Amino acid sequence: MSSGHEAGGLEPLLARVFPPVEPPADLSTRVMDKLQSISDHAAGELEGWELAAMRDPRNWVRPALALVGGTAAGAGLVLLRLHQRHRGRGGADDGATQVDGSEH
Amino acid sequence: MEELSKTKAQLDAEFSELYRSHLRDVYSYSYYRVGNHHDAEDLTEQTFLQAYRHFERAQRESDGRPLRPWLIRIAHNLAANHYRYRLRRPQAPLEESAPVAALHSTEELVAGRDELARVLDGVKRLPDDRREALIMRFSLGMDNREIARALGRSDGATKVLIHRAIKQLEEIVALAEEHG
Repeated sequence: MSSGHEAGGLEPLLARVFPPVEPPADLSTRVMDKLQSISDHAAGELEGWELAAMRDPRNWVRPALALVGGTAAGAGLVLLRLHQRHRGRGGADDGATQVDGSEH
Repeated sequence: MEELSKTKAQLDAEFSELYRSHLRDVYSYSYYRVGNHHDAEDLTEQTFLQAYRHFERAQRESDGRPLRPWLIRIAHNLAANHYRYRLRRPQAPLEESAPVAALHSTEELVAGRDELARVLDGVKRLPDDRREALIMRFSLGMDNREIARALGRSDGATKVLIHRAIKQLEEIVALAEEHG
């Protein structure tokens, strides 16, 4: 083995073999423009999709079902509360009767 | 939680910063892999477009570590695909696009710089993975850990890879000196 390349002898040469390569001046602008257009397009697509989706009656089914389901669930909950309140009051009356009954 | 709530504008600004900081690295690496400016430009563009698509996830998973190895890994994988494509549909022999020699003028190589010419020749004869590691080290100035992340290897395996690359290159150069 050649002693001239031991212990880092080759490394300075390698740095000269692989100098950093400057990209062409227009590449930077070109890539940034493309990225910007992708970004804008994605944002536009999302907004457009949301609006367009609501214009299509086929897409009203899900929100309508959600509305009906939500209303039914809310109504059920109200009825359940009323029922529980009614039973609670009835139970209290029963207790009172019992107490009254045991007193008599 | 802060990462999760980043707005698109913030992400775009951070990606622009990453792009500005590492455009030269990605371009240099691409150039040395594909051997000409035209393909290097395409590869650089594809690298950043792919990076942009996965930037948010990469940021989350990087735990604050630099993203340069991730970018170079994308370029590395795209370059491998490029080579596979070229091998399936050869347009010009790969030898013709020797990227390293192309950066050095004939005058530079002739004017008493035999040693540089021998190193250039030696680099071309190295196995791909060893040459790629040397490009990352000497052109991009990446340390072992960064190279390991870019190549998807362990730190130890990368250290050995670079050591063997330099050793093999020394042997090739020494042999060339003996015969030259």
